[in-house]
Amino acid sequence: MLESTPLVQSTPLVQPAKLGRVAAYEWSHRSAQVFIAAALVFTGVAVFVGDTFFLRLATEALIYAGLAMSVDLLLGVTGMLSLGQALFFGLGSYASTLVLKHVTPSFWVAMAVALAVGTVAGAIGAVLSIRARGVYFALITFGMAQVVSKVVYNTRSIGGSDGIIGIPVIKVNLLLFEVDTASPAGFFLLVLALVMLLYFGLAYLLRTPAGRVLVAVRTNEARVPFLGYQIRNARFLAFVVAADLAAFAGALYPMLRGFVSPELMYFNVSGDAVVTVVIGGLGTLIGPIYGSVVITALKSIIGTYTDHYPIVIGALFMLAVIAFPNGLMGAVDTLRARRKGGSP
Amino acid sequence: MNQETPILEVRDLSVAFGPLVAVDRMSFSAQRGHITSVIGPNGAGKSTLFNLVSGALRPGSGAVLFDGADITRERPDRLVRRGLSRSFQITNLFAELPVVENLRLAAQVLESPWKALLPTSASKRTRDRVEELVERFKLEEKRDERAGFLSHGEQRRLEIAVALAGRPRLLLLDEPTQGMSHGDTLDTAELIRQVAQEASIILIEHDIDLVMNLSDNVVVMHQGRKLAEGPPQEVRGNPVVQAAYFGTQVHAEN
Ligand SMILES: Nc1ncnc2c1ncn2[C@@H]1O[C@H](COP(=O)(O)OP(=O)(O)OP(=O)(O)O)[C@@H](O)[C@H]1O
Ligand SMILES: [Mg+2]
Repeated sequence: MLESTPLVQSTPLVQPAKLGRVAAYEWSHRSAQVFIAAALVFTGVAVFVGDTFFLRLATEALIYAGLAMSVDLLLGVTGMLSLGQALFFGLGSYASTLVLKHVTPSFWVAMAVALAVGTVAGAIGAVLSIRARGVYFALITFGMAQVVSKVVYNTRSIGGSDGIIGIPVIKVNLLLFEVDTASPAGFFLLVLALVMLLYFGLAYLLRTPAGRVLVAVRTNEARVPFLGYQIRNARFLAFVVAADLAAFAGALYPMLRGFVSPELMYFNVSGDAVVTVVIGGLGTLIGPIYGSVVITALKSIIGTYTDHYPIVIGALFMLAVIAFPNGLMGAVDTLRARRKGGSP
Repeated sequence: MNQETPILEVRDLSVAFGPLVAVDRMSFSAQRGHITSVIGPNGAGKSTLFNLVSGALRPGSGAVLFDGADITRERPDRLVRRGLSRSFQITNLFAELPVVENLRLAAQVLESPWKALLPTSASKRTRDRVEELVERFKLEEKRDERAGFLSHGEQRRLEIAVALAGRPRLLLLDEPTQGMSHGDTLDTAELIRQVAQEASIILIEHDIDLVMNLSDNVVVMHQGRKLAEGPPQEVRGNPVVQAAYFGTQVHAEN
Protein backbone atom coordinates (compact mmCIF):
# COMPACT_ATOMS: atom_id res chain seq x y z
CA MET A 1 0.00 0.00 0.00
CA LEU A 2 2.85 2.29 -0.72
CA GLU A 3 1.73 5.66 -2.00
CA SER A 4 4.30 7.07 -4.35
CA THR A 5 4.49 10.82 -4.48
CA PRO A 6 7.63 12.27 -5.98
CA LEU A 7 6.98 15.80 -4.78
CA VAL A 8 9.28 16.42 -1.90
CA GLN A 9 7.54 17.08 1.36
CA SER A 10 8.88 20.26 2.89
CA THR A 11 9.96 19.93 6.47
CA PRO A 12 10.53 23.29 8.05
CA LEU A 13 13.31 23.19 10.62
CA VAL A 14 11.08 24.84 13.14
CA GLN A 15 7.69 23.24 13.07
CA PRO A 16 5.06 25.96 12.86
CA ALA A 17 2.29 25.90 15.38
CA LYS A 18 0.60 22.54 15.28
CA LEU A 19 -3.01 21.76 15.81
CA GLY A 20 -3.29 23.40 19.22
CA ARG A 21 -2.68 26.88 17.91
CA VAL A 22 -4.59 29.02 15.45
CA ALA A 23 -3.86 28.64 11.79
CA ALA A 24 -2.27 31.73 10.33
CA TYR A 25 -5.46 33.35 9.09
CA GLU A 26 -7.43 32.83 12.25
CA TRP A 27 -5.79 35.27 14.63
CA SER A 28 -7.86 38.07 16.03
CA HIS A 29 -6.96 41.68 15.61
CA ARG A 30 -7.44 42.12 19.33
CA SER A 31 -3.74 41.73 20.01
CA ALA A 32 -3.02 44.41 17.42
CA GLN A 33 -5.46 46.82 19.04
CA VAL A 34 -3.98 46.17 22.45
CA PHE A 35 -0.54 46.83 21.04
CA ILE A 36 -1.52 50.12 19.46
CA ALA A 37 -3.23 51.27 22.64
CA ALA A 38 -0.20 50.35 24.73
CA ALA A 39 2.12 52.13 22.31
CA LEU A 40 0.03 55.30 22.52
CA VAL A 41 -0.01 55.24 26.31
CA PHE A 42 3.73 54.68 26.26
CA THR A 43 4.20 57.69 23.98
CA GLY A 44 2.11 59.86 26.28
CA VAL A 45 4.07 58.86 29.34
CA ALA A 46 7.41 59.25 27.56
CA VAL A 47 6.55 62.73 26.33
CA PHE A 48 5.26 63.67 29.76
CA VAL A 49 8.47 62.67 31.52
CA GLY A 50 10.61 64.11 28.73
CA ASP A 51 12.13 60.79 27.67
CA THR A 52 13.94 60.35 24.37
CA PHE A 53 16.03 57.23 24.96
CA PHE A 54 13.13 54.84 25.33
CA LEU A 55 11.21 56.37 22.47
CA ARG A 56 14.21 55.84 20.22
CA LEU A 57 14.63 52.30 21.49
CA ALA A 58 10.94 51.57 20.94
CA THR A 59 11.21 52.94 17.41
CA GLU A 60 14.06 50.56 16.78
CA ALA A 61 11.94 47.70 18.14
CA LEU A 62 9.22 48.56 15.65
CA ILE A 63 11.65 48.71 12.76
CA TYR A 64 12.98 45.27 13.64
CA ALA A 65 9.37 44.15 14.01
CA GLY A 66 8.92 44.91 10.31
CA LEU A 67 11.85 42.64 9.54
CA ALA A 68 10.47 39.96 11.84
CA MET A 69 7.08 40.15 10.10
CA SER A 70 8.77 39.45 6.82
CA VAL A 71 10.35 36.36 8.35
CA ASP A 72 6.93 35.37 9.65
CA LEU A 73 5.43 35.60 6.18
CA LEU A 74 8.10 33.22 4.95
CA LEU A 75 8.41 30.86 7.90
CA GLY A 76 5.17 31.08 9.85
CA VAL A 77 2.84 31.42 6.88
CA THR A 78 4.53 29.71 3.95
CA GLY A 79 6.96 27.42 5.78
CA MET A 80 10.25 28.77 4.38
CA LEU A 81 13.07 29.32 6.86
CA SER A 82 15.18 32.25 5.65
CA LEU A 83 18.45 32.82 7.44
CA GLY A 84 19.35 35.83 5.33
CA GLN A 85 16.42 38.17 5.62
CA ALA A 86 18.74 40.93 6.87
CA LEU A 87 20.01 41.13 3.29
CA PHE A 88 16.84 42.89 2.19
CA PHE A 89 16.68 44.92 5.38
CA GLY A 90 20.20 46.14 4.69
CA LEU A 91 19.53 46.84 1.03
CA GLY A 92 16.51 48.92 2.02
CA SER A 93 18.55 50.86 4.53
CA TYR A 94 21.31 51.58 2.00
CA ALA A 95 18.82 52.55 -0.69
CA SER A 96 17.10 54.96 1.64
CA THR A 97 20.42 56.36 2.86
CA LEU A 98 21.75 57.01 -0.63
CA VAL A 99 18.55 58.70 -1.72
CA LEU A 100 18.37 60.93 1.35
CA LYS A 101 22.01 61.85 1.22
CA HIS A 102 22.67 62.23 -2.47
CA VAL A 103 19.38 62.59 -4.33
CA THR A 104 16.66 64.27 -2.36
CA PRO A 105 15.78 64.50 1.33
CA SER A 106 12.32 63.16 0.61
CA PHE A 107 10.90 60.47 2.86
CA TRP A 108 8.51 59.15 0.23
CA VAL A 109 11.12 58.98 -2.51
CA ALA A 110 13.43 57.09 -0.15
CA MET A 111 10.69 54.61 0.74
CA ALA A 112 9.70 54.11 -2.88
CA VAL A 113 13.27 53.48 -3.98
CA ALA A 114 13.78 51.05 -1.10
CA LEU A 115 10.67 49.15 -2.16
CA ALA A 116 11.84 49.05 -5.76
CA VAL A 117 15.23 47.74 -4.67
CA GLY A 118 13.51 45.22 -2.39
CA THR A 119 11.33 44.00 -5.25
CA VAL A 120 14.19 43.58 -7.72
CA ALA A 121 16.53 42.01 -5.17
CA GLY A 122 13.67 39.86 -3.90
CA ALA A 123 12.91 38.58 -7.38
CA ILE A 124 16.57 37.74 -7.99
CA GLY A 125 16.88 36.11 -4.58
CA ALA A 126 13.71 34.13 -5.21
CA VAL A 127 14.97 32.80 -8.52
CA LEU A 128 18.16 31.66 -6.80
CA SER A 129 16.59 30.12 -3.74
CA ILE A 130 12.98 28.97 -3.96
CA ARG A 131 13.65 25.73 -5.79
CA ALA A 132 15.52 24.56 -2.71
CA ARG A 133 13.70 23.26 0.33
CA GLY A 134 14.30 23.12 4.05
CA VAL A 135 17.95 23.29 5.06
CA TYR A 136 19.06 23.99 1.50
CA PHE A 137 16.79 26.98 1.21
CA ALA A 138 18.00 28.23 4.58
CA LEU A 139 21.63 27.88 3.51
CA ILE A 140 21.11 29.64 0.18
CA THR A 141 19.43 32.62 1.84
CA PHE A 142 22.20 32.65 4.42
CA GLY A 143 24.81 32.55 1.66
CA MET A 144 23.24 35.34 -0.36
CA ALA A 145 23.26 37.64 2.64
CA GLN A 146 26.88 36.73 3.40
CA VAL A 147 28.00 37.44 -0.15
CA VAL A 148 26.20 40.77 -0.48
CA SER A 149 27.30 41.99 2.95
CA LYS A 150 30.91 41.21 2.04
CA VAL A 151 30.54 43.04 -1.25
CA VAL A 152 29.14 46.06 0.55
CA TYR A 153 31.89 45.74 3.15
CA ASN A 154 34.50 45.99 0.40
CA THR A 155 32.90 48.71 -1.68
CA ARG A 156 34.61 51.98 -0.85
CA SER A 157 32.17 54.18 -2.74
CA ILE A 158 29.39 53.31 -0.31
CA GLY A 159 31.55 53.59 2.75
CA GLY A 160 32.96 50.04 2.87
CA SER A 161 33.31 48.65 6.35
CA ASP A 162 32.58 52.04 7.93
CA GLY A 163 29.18 52.32 6.35
CA ILE A 164 27.64 55.72 5.77
CA ILE A 165 27.15 58.38 8.37
CA GLY A 166 25.73 61.86 8.31
CA ILE A 167 22.29 61.05 7.02
CA PRO A 168 20.30 64.27 7.18
CA VAL A 169 17.35 64.75 9.47
CA ILE A 170 14.31 65.02 7.23
CA LYS A 171 10.79 66.27 7.44
CA VAL A 172 8.17 63.72 6.46
CA ASN A 173 5.38 65.37 4.56
CA LEU A 174 2.04 63.91 5.59
CA LEU A 175 -0.05 66.49 3.68
CA LEU A 176 -1.77 67.95 6.74
CA PHE A 177 1.35 68.20 8.85
CA GLU A 178 5.00 67.29 8.92
CA VAL A 179 6.91 64.90 11.12
CA ASP A 180 10.53 65.51 11.88
CA THR A 181 12.64 62.34 12.00
CA ALA A 182 14.59 63.96 14.82
CA SER A 183 11.47 64.21 16.96
CA PRO A 184 11.48 61.05 19.11
CA ALA A 185 7.73 60.94 19.72
CA GLY A 186 6.78 62.11 16.23
CA PHE A 187 8.98 59.60 14.46
CA PHE A 188 7.93 56.81 16.82
CA LEU A 189 4.28 57.42 16.00
CA LEU A 190 5.03 57.54 12.30
CA VAL A 191 6.90 54.23 12.42
CA LEU A 192 4.13 52.76 14.57
CA ALA A 193 1.59 53.75 11.93
CA LEU A 194 3.68 52.30 9.12
CA VAL A 195 4.40 49.02 10.89
CA MET A 196 0.74 48.56 11.76
CA LEU A 197 -0.03 49.30 8.13
CA LEU A 198 2.29 46.46 7.15
CA TYR A 199 0.55 44.24 9.66
CA PHE A 200 -2.93 44.99 8.35
CA GLY A 201 -1.67 44.69 4.79
CA LEU A 202 -0.33 41.22 5.48
CA ALA A 203 -3.47 40.26 7.34
CA TYR A 204 -5.40 41.34 4.27
CA LEU A 205 -3.15 39.29 1.99
CA LEU A 206 -3.86 36.20 4.05
CA ARG A 207 -7.57 36.68 3.55
CA THR A 208 -7.27 36.56 -0.22
CA PRO A 209 -7.21 33.41 -2.34
CA ALA A 210 -3.52 34.00 -3.13
CA GLY A 211 -2.72 34.31 0.57
CA ARG A 212 -4.62 31.13 1.39
CA VAL A 213 -2.45 29.24 -1.04
CA LEU A 214 0.62 30.35 0.95
CA VAL A 215 -0.86 28.79 4.08
CA ALA A 216 -1.73 25.67 2.08
CA VAL A 217 1.89 25.39 0.94
CA ARG A 218 3.04 25.37 4.55
CA THR A 219 0.49 22.90 5.82
CA ASN A 220 0.66 20.33 3.00
CA GLU A 221 2.81 21.33 0.08
CA ALA A 222 2.45 17.96 -1.64
CA ARG A 223 -1.27 18.43 -2.18
CA VAL A 224 -1.12 21.98 -3.51
CA PRO A 225 -0.29 21.18 -7.18
CA PHE A 226 -3.28 18.84 -7.26
CA LEU A 227 -5.55 21.74 -6.40
CA GLY A 228 -4.32 23.66 -9.43
CA TYR A 229 -1.62 25.91 -7.97
CA GLN A 230 2.02 25.96 -8.88
CA ILE A 231 4.09 25.88 -5.73
CA ARG A 232 6.84 27.88 -7.34
CA ASN A 233 4.50 30.84 -7.86
CA ALA A 234 3.37 30.76 -4.25
CA ARG A 235 6.92 30.62 -2.95
CA PHE A 236 7.95 33.39 -5.33
CA LEU A 237 5.13 35.63 -4.15
CA ALA A 238 5.97 35.01 -0.50
CA PHE A 239 9.65 35.65 -1.09
CA VAL A 240 9.22 38.92 -2.96
CA VAL A 241 6.61 40.33 -0.59
CA ALA A 242 8.85 39.38 2.34
CA ALA A 243 11.81 41.11 0.68
CA ASP A 244 9.67 44.22 0.26
CA LEU A 245 8.63 44.19 3.90
CA ALA A 246 12.23 43.83 5.02
CA ALA A 247 13.43 46.58 2.68
CA PHE A 248 10.64 48.86 3.83
CA ALA A 249 11.57 48.35 7.46
CA GLY A 250 15.24 48.74 6.65
CA ALA A 251 14.61 52.06 4.90
CA LEU A 252 13.42 53.51 8.21
CA TYR A 253 16.57 52.54 10.07
CA PRO A 254 18.92 55.31 8.86
CA MET A 255 16.24 57.89 9.59
CA LEU A 256 16.30 56.75 13.20
CA ARG A 257 20.00 56.19 13.75
CA GLY A 258 21.57 58.50 11.18
CA PHE A 259 23.93 55.85 9.85
CA VAL A 260 24.07 52.50 8.10
CA SER A 261 26.76 49.83 8.00
CA PRO A 262 27.26 46.39 6.43
CA GLU A 263 26.53 44.91 9.83
CA LEU A 264 22.85 45.47 9.18
CA MET A 265 23.09 42.55 6.73
CA TYR A 266 24.97 40.23 9.03
CA PHE A 267 23.74 36.90 10.21
CA ASN A 268 22.99 38.02 13.74
CA VAL A 269 20.36 40.41 12.38
CA SER A 270 18.75 37.62 10.33
CA GLY A 271 19.03 35.19 13.20
CA ASP A 272 17.54 37.61 15.71
CA ALA A 273 14.59 38.09 13.39
CA VAL A 274 13.91 34.34 13.34
CA VAL A 275 14.21 34.19 17.13
CA THR A 276 11.86 37.16 17.40
CA VAL A 277 9.21 35.41 15.33
CA VAL A 278 9.46 32.15 17.23
CA ILE A 279 9.26 33.98 20.57
CA GLY A 280 6.30 36.05 19.41
CA GLY A 281 4.40 33.20 17.81
CA LEU A 282 4.89 31.75 14.32
CA GLY A 283 2.32 32.60 11.72
CA THR A 284 0.50 35.12 13.88
CA LEU A 285 1.85 38.31 12.21
CA ILE A 286 1.29 40.28 15.42
CA GLY A 287 3.49 37.96 17.46
CA PRO A 288 6.66 39.23 15.75
CA ILE A 289 5.81 42.78 16.83
CA TYR A 290 5.48 41.77 20.48
CA GLY A 291 8.51 39.53 20.10
CA SER A 292 10.56 42.41 18.75
CA VAL A 293 9.66 44.58 21.72
CA VAL A 294 10.75 41.82 24.07
CA ILE A 295 14.01 41.10 22.25
CA THR A 296 14.94 44.75 21.80
CA ALA A 297 14.25 45.46 25.46
CA LEU A 298 16.26 42.44 26.58
CA LYS A 299 19.16 43.34 24.34
CA SER A 300 19.22 46.85 25.71
CA ILE A 301 18.95 45.83 29.35
CA ILE A 302 21.42 42.96 29.13
CA GLY A 303 23.69 45.08 26.93
CA THR A 304 24.26 47.46 29.82
CA TYR A 305 25.73 44.65 31.90
CA THR A 306 27.60 42.55 29.38
CA ASP A 307 28.71 42.41 25.78
CA HIS A 308 27.72 38.77 25.60
CA TYR A 309 24.03 39.33 25.21
CA PRO A 310 23.76 36.63 22.49
CA ILE A 311 24.45 34.03 25.18
CA VAL A 312 21.61 35.33 27.30
CA ILE A 313 19.27 35.69 24.33
CA GLY A 314 20.16 32.17 23.23
CA ALA A 315 19.41 30.73 26.66
CA LEU A 316 16.14 32.65 26.90
CA PHE A 317 15.22 31.48 23.42
CA MET A 318 15.63 27.86 24.43
CA LEU A 319 13.62 28.36 27.60
CA ALA A 320 10.89 30.20 25.72
CA VAL A 321 10.59 27.50 23.09
CA ILE A 322 10.38 24.82 25.77
CA ALA A 323 7.92 26.71 27.96
CA PHE A 324 5.84 28.35 25.20
CA PRO A 325 6.17 26.26 22.05
CA ASN A 326 3.64 28.50 20.32
CA GLY A 327 5.25 31.74 21.38
CA LEU A 328 3.80 34.66 23.29
CA MET A 329 0.64 34.67 21.20
CA GLY A 330 0.15 30.98 21.87
CA ALA A 331 0.55 31.57 25.59
CA VAL A 332 -1.99 34.39 25.48
CA ASP A 333 -4.45 32.14 23.65
CA THR A 334 -4.02 29.38 26.20
CA LEU A 335 -4.60 31.82 29.05
CA ARG A 336 -7.70 33.26 27.44
CA ALA A 337 -9.11 29.82 26.72
CA ARG A 338 -8.44 28.73 30.28
CA ARG A 339 -10.16 31.77 31.70
CA LYS A 340 -13.20 31.09 29.54
CA GLY A 341 -13.18 27.57 30.94
CA GLY A 342 -12.94 26.02 27.50
CA SER A 343 -10.10 23.90 26.22
CA PRO A 344 -7.40 25.76 24.32
CA MET B 1 -14.98 17.68 -28.75
CA ASN B 2 -16.41 14.70 -30.47
CA GLN B 3 -18.65 12.64 -28.19
CA GLU B 4 -16.78 9.55 -29.36
CA THR B 5 -13.39 10.74 -28.13
CA PRO B 6 -12.60 8.92 -24.88
CA ILE B 7 -12.19 11.29 -21.93
CA LEU B 8 -8.91 9.54 -21.22
CA GLU B 9 -6.73 7.39 -23.36
CA VAL B 10 -3.56 5.76 -22.13
CA ARG B 11 -1.18 4.37 -24.75
CA ASP B 12 1.68 2.02 -24.02
CA LEU B 13 2.46 3.77 -20.76
CA SER B 14 5.47 2.53 -18.79
CA VAL B 15 7.51 3.56 -15.81
CA ALA B 16 10.19 1.77 -13.86
CA PHE B 17 11.58 2.26 -10.36
CA GLY B 18 15.06 0.86 -10.80
CA PRO B 19 14.63 -2.73 -11.86
CA LEU B 20 10.93 -2.77 -11.00
CA VAL B 21 8.67 -2.00 -13.94
CA ALA B 22 5.70 -0.72 -11.96
CA VAL B 23 3.60 0.11 -15.01
CA ASP B 24 4.38 -1.91 -18.09
CA ARG B 25 3.02 -0.87 -21.50
CA MET B 26 -0.43 -0.10 -20.15
CA SER B 27 -3.09 0.87 -22.64
CA PHE B 28 -6.75 1.50 -21.98
CA SER B 29 -9.34 4.16 -22.42
CA ALA B 30 -12.11 5.60 -20.30
CA GLN B 31 -15.32 6.82 -21.87
CA ARG B 32 -16.96 10.12 -21.16
CA GLY B 33 -19.64 9.90 -18.49
CA HIS B 34 -18.57 6.42 -17.45
CA ILE B 35 -17.23 4.99 -14.24
CA THR B 36 -14.17 3.01 -15.23
CA SER B 37 -12.66 0.88 -12.49
CA VAL B 38 -9.07 -0.20 -12.22
CA ILE B 39 -8.62 -3.27 -10.07
CA GLY B 40 -5.76 -5.57 -9.28
CA PRO B 41 -3.85 -7.04 -6.34
CA ASN B 42 -1.63 -4.97 -4.04
CA GLY B 43 1.39 -3.67 -5.85
CA ALA B 44 -0.16 -4.17 -9.28
CA GLY B 45 0.71 -0.59 -10.23
CA LYS B 46 -2.72 1.04 -9.98
CA SER B 47 -1.68 4.04 -7.91
CA THR B 48 1.43 4.42 -10.02
CA LEU B 49 -0.82 4.56 -13.08
CA PHE B 50 -2.77 7.40 -11.42
CA ASN B 51 0.48 9.16 -10.59
CA LEU B 52 1.46 9.01 -14.25
CA VAL B 53 -1.88 10.27 -15.50
CA SER B 54 -2.19 13.06 -12.91
CA GLY B 55 1.32 14.39 -13.48
CA ALA B 56 2.72 13.28 -10.12
CA LEU B 57 5.20 11.03 -11.95
CA ARG B 58 6.69 11.20 -15.42
CA PRO B 59 6.36 8.12 -17.55
CA GLY B 60 9.41 6.51 -19.10
CA SER B 61 7.52 5.98 -22.32
CA GLY B 62 4.02 6.05 -23.73
CA ALA B 63 1.36 8.72 -23.99
CA VAL B 64 -1.67 10.02 -22.13
CA LEU B 65 -4.50 11.77 -23.97
CA PHE B 66 -7.09 13.75 -22.07
CA ASP B 67 -10.15 14.56 -24.13
CA GLY B 68 -8.09 13.98 -27.26
CA ALA B 69 -5.22 16.26 -26.26
CA ASP B 70 -1.76 14.97 -25.42
CA ILE B 71 -1.09 15.64 -21.73
CA THR B 72 1.92 13.36 -21.27
CA ARG B 73 4.37 15.03 -18.85
CA GLU B 74 2.04 17.95 -18.16
CA ARG B 75 2.34 19.48 -14.67
CA PRO B 76 -0.32 18.52 -12.11
CA ASP B 77 -1.51 22.10 -11.56
CA ARG B 78 -2.03 22.55 -15.31
CA LEU B 79 -3.97 19.30 -15.48
CA VAL B 80 -6.27 20.48 -12.71
CA ARG B 81 -6.89 23.69 -14.64
CA ARG B 82 -7.70 21.59 -17.68
CA GLY B 83 -10.23 19.60 -15.69
CA LEU B 84 -8.39 16.50 -14.53
CA SER B 85 -8.35 16.02 -10.77
CA ARG B 86 -7.48 13.19 -8.39
CA SER B 87 -7.87 11.97 -4.85
CA PHE B 88 -5.29 10.03 -2.88
CA GLN B 89 -5.21 6.53 -1.46
CA ILE B 90 -3.58 7.84 1.70
CA THR B 91 -5.65 10.80 2.85
CA ASN B 92 -3.87 13.92 1.73
CA LEU B 93 -5.63 16.91 3.26
CA PHE B 94 -4.67 20.13 5.01
CA ALA B 95 -4.94 18.65 8.47
CA GLU B 96 -4.40 21.93 10.32
CA LEU B 97 -7.07 23.74 8.35
CA PRO B 98 -10.84 23.58 8.84
CA VAL B 99 -13.00 21.49 6.54
CA VAL B 100 -14.41 24.54 4.77
CA GLU B 101 -10.93 25.90 4.22
CA ASN B 102 -9.83 22.64 2.61
CA LEU B 103 -12.78 22.91 0.27
CA ARG B 104 -12.30 26.62 -0.37
CA LEU B 105 -8.71 26.11 -1.42
CA ALA B 106 -9.81 23.50 -3.90
CA ALA B 107 -12.84 25.43 -5.15
CA GLN B 108 -11.17 28.80 -5.64
CA VAL B 109 -9.59 27.64 -8.91
CA LEU B 110 -13.04 28.26 -10.34
CA GLU B 111 -12.59 31.97 -9.76
CA SER B 112 -11.06 34.33 -12.30
CA PRO B 113 -7.39 35.11 -11.58
CA TRP B 114 -7.93 38.79 -10.89
CA LYS B 115 -9.87 37.83 -7.78
CA ALA B 116 -6.70 36.27 -6.36
CA LEU B 117 -5.96 39.47 -4.45
CA LEU B 118 -9.48 40.36 -3.41
CA PRO B 119 -10.82 39.08 -0.10
CA THR B 120 -12.13 35.51 -0.31
CA SER B 121 -15.53 36.90 0.62
CA ALA B 122 -15.65 38.42 -2.88
CA SER B 123 -15.57 34.94 -4.40
CA LYS B 124 -19.21 34.02 -4.50
CA ARG B 125 -18.76 31.11 -6.88
CA THR B 126 -16.24 29.56 -4.52
CA ARG B 127 -18.45 30.07 -1.49
CA ASP B 128 -21.46 28.51 -3.16
CA ARG B 129 -19.45 25.53 -4.26
CA VAL B 130 -18.09 25.02 -0.75
CA GLU B 131 -21.57 25.16 0.76
CA GLU B 132 -22.89 22.73 -1.81
CA LEU B 133 -20.12 20.22 -1.13
CA VAL B 134 -20.36 20.50 2.64
CA GLU B 135 -23.98 19.52 2.35
CA ARG B 136 -23.62 16.81 -0.28
CA PHE B 137 -20.78 15.12 1.56
CA LYS B 138 -22.57 15.39 4.93
CA LEU B 139 -19.90 17.48 6.59
CA GLU B 140 -22.19 20.21 7.98
CA GLU B 141 -21.50 19.39 11.59
CA LYS B 142 -17.78 19.31 11.00
CA ARG B 143 -17.48 22.31 8.73
CA ASP B 144 -15.31 24.36 11.10
CA GLU B 145 -13.41 21.42 12.50
CA ARG B 146 -9.80 20.97 11.44
CA ALA B 147 -9.52 18.21 8.87
CA GLY B 148 -7.01 16.40 11.07
CA PHE B 149 -9.66 15.97 13.76
CA LEU B 150 -12.23 14.25 11.55
CA SER B 151 -12.93 10.54 11.77
CA HIS B 152 -11.36 8.34 9.15
CA GLY B 153 -14.61 8.00 7.22
CA GLU B 154 -15.17 11.76 7.24
CA GLN B 155 -11.64 12.36 6.03
CA ARG B 156 -12.17 9.96 3.15
CA ARG B 157 -15.36 11.82 2.19
CA LEU B 158 -13.58 15.16 2.41
CA GLU B 159 -10.79 13.75 0.26
CA ILE B 160 -13.30 13.09 -2.53
CA ALA B 161 -15.03 16.44 -2.03
CA VAL B 162 -11.72 18.32 -2.28
CA ALA B 163 -10.86 16.52 -5.50
CA LEU B 164 -14.28 17.36 -6.89
CA ALA B 165 -14.44 20.99 -5.75
CA GLY B 166 -12.80 22.48 -8.84
CA ARG B 167 -15.44 20.89 -11.12
CA PRO B 168 -13.15 18.48 -12.96
CA ARG B 169 -14.33 16.75 -16.11
CA LEU B 170 -12.39 13.66 -15.14
CA LEU B 171 -11.93 12.55 -11.56
CA LEU B 172 -9.44 9.88 -10.53
CA LEU B 173 -10.41 8.27 -7.21
CA ASP B 174 -7.77 6.12 -5.54
CA GLU B 175 -9.48 3.68 -3.18
CA PRO B 176 -12.02 6.13 -1.79
CA THR B 177 -13.47 3.51 0.57
CA GLN B 178 -10.12 2.40 1.92
CA GLY B 179 -10.43 1.42 5.58
CA MET B 180 -14.15 2.24 5.74
CA SER B 181 -16.80 0.25 7.53
CA HIS B 182 -19.31 -1.64 5.39
CA GLY B 183 -22.02 0.98 5.99
CA ASP B 184 -19.72 3.85 5.09
CA THR B 185 -18.64 1.99 1.99
CA LEU B 186 -22.24 1.75 0.81
CA ASP B 187 -22.79 5.48 1.47
CA THR B 188 -19.65 6.29 -0.44
CA ALA B 189 -20.77 4.16 -3.36
CA GLU B 190 -23.91 6.25 -3.49
CA LEU B 191 -21.87 9.45 -3.38
CA ILE B 192 -19.69 8.24 -6.24
CA ARG B 193 -22.77 7.45 -8.27
CA GLN B 194 -23.93 11.04 -7.77
CA VAL B 195 -20.51 12.43 -8.59
CA ALA B 196 -20.62 10.48 -11.84
CA GLN B 197 -23.45 12.79 -12.93
CA GLU B 198 -21.03 15.69 -13.19
CA ALA B 199 -17.68 14.08 -14.02
CA SER B 200 -16.29 11.01 -15.69
CA ILE B 201 -14.66 8.80 -13.09
CA ILE B 202 -11.78 6.39 -12.97
CA LEU B 203 -11.89 4.41 -9.77
CA ILE B 204 -9.29 2.26 -8.09
CA GLU B 205 -11.10 -0.05 -5.73
CA HIS B 206 -10.54 -3.28 -3.84
CA ASP B 207 -14.16 -3.83 -2.87
CA ILE B 208 -15.32 -6.13 -5.65
CA ASP B 209 -19.03 -5.78 -4.95
CA LEU B 210 -18.72 -2.06 -5.18
CA VAL B 211 -16.79 -2.34 -8.44
CA MET B 212 -19.36 -4.68 -9.92
CA ASN B 213 -22.20 -2.37 -8.91
CA LEU B 214 -20.74 0.93 -9.99
CA SER B 215 -18.59 0.33 -13.02
CA ASP B 216 -19.40 0.67 -16.66
CA ASN B 217 -16.06 -0.81 -17.53
CA VAL B 218 -13.32 -2.58 -15.60
CA VAL B 219 -9.59 -2.70 -16.24
CA VAL B 220 -7.65 -5.41 -14.44
CA MET B 221 -3.99 -4.83 -13.68
CA HIS B 222 -1.43 -7.34 -12.57
CA GLN B 223 2.31 -6.75 -12.18
CA GLY B 224 2.13 -3.48 -14.04
CA ARG B 225 0.29 -4.91 -17.01
CA LYS B 226 -3.26 -4.95 -18.18
CA LEU B 227 -4.66 -8.39 -17.66
CA ALA B 228 -8.15 -7.81 -18.96
CA GLU B 229 -10.64 -5.10 -19.79
CA GLY B 230 -14.37 -5.13 -20.29
CA PRO B 231 -17.79 -4.83 -18.68
CA PRO B 232 -17.89 -5.99 -15.03
CA GLN B 233 -19.64 -9.31 -15.52
CA GLU B 234 -17.41 -10.29 -18.41
CA VAL B 235 -14.27 -9.47 -16.45
CA ARG B 236 -15.49 -11.39 -13.43
CA GLY B 237 -16.03 -14.47 -15.60
CA ASN B 238 -12.63 -14.23 -17.25
CA PRO B 239 -10.59 -17.31 -16.14
CA VAL B 240 -7.26 -15.50 -16.38
CA VAL B 241 -8.52 -12.78 -14.07
CA GLN B 242 -9.94 -15.33 -11.67
CA ALA B 243 -6.66 -17.11 -11.46
CA ALA B 244 -4.57 -14.00 -10.98
CA TYR B 245 -6.89 -11.98 -8.85
CA PHE B 246 -10.26 -13.12 -7.68
CA GLY B 247 -9.16 -16.60 -6.77
CA THR B 248 -6.31 -15.66 -4.53
CA GLN B 249 -6.43 -12.03 -3.60
CA VAL B 250 -9.95 -11.07 -2.76
CA HIS B 251 -10.09 -13.10 0.41
CA ALA B 252 -6.61 -12.24 1.48
CA GLU B 253 -7.55 -8.57 1.15
CA ASN B 254 -10.40 -8.17 3.56
N1 LIG C 1 7.98 6.03 -5.80
C1 LIG C 1 8.23 4.70 -5.83
N2 LIG C 1 9.49 4.27 -5.74
C2 LIG C 1 9.76 2.94 -5.80
N3 LIG C 1 8.85 1.99 -5.93
C3 LIG C 1 7.56 2.36 -6.02
C4 LIG C 1 7.19 3.73 -5.97
N4 LIG C 1 5.86 3.81 -6.09
C5 LIG C 1 5.41 2.55 -6.21
N5 LIG C 1 6.42 1.67 -6.15
C6 LIG C 1 6.30 0.23 -6.30
O1 LIG C 1 5.60 -0.02 -7.50
C7 LIG C 1 4.70 -1.09 -7.33
C8 LIG C 1 3.31 -0.63 -7.66
O2 LIG C 1 2.86 0.19 -6.61
P1 LIG C 1 1.43 0.85 -6.61
O3 LIG C 1 1.36 1.74 -5.42
O4 LIG C 1 1.17 1.46 -7.92
O5 LIG C 1 0.49 -0.40 -6.40
P2 LIG C 1 -1.08 -0.45 -6.24
O6 LIG C 1 -1.61 -1.26 -7.33
O7 LIG C 1 -1.64 0.90 -6.07
O8 LIG C 1 -1.19 -1.25 -4.89
P3 LIG C 1 -2.19 -1.07 -3.64
O9 LIG C 1 -3.42 -1.82 -3.97
O10 LIG C 1 -1.44 -1.69 -2.53
O11 LIG C 1 -2.41 0.38 -3.45
C9 LIG C 1 4.88 -1.59 -5.91
O12 LIG C 1 5.76 -2.68 -5.93
C10 LIG C 1 5.48 -0.41 -5.21
O13 LIG C 1 6.29 -0.83 -4.13
MG1 LIG D 1 -2.51 1.98 -4.60
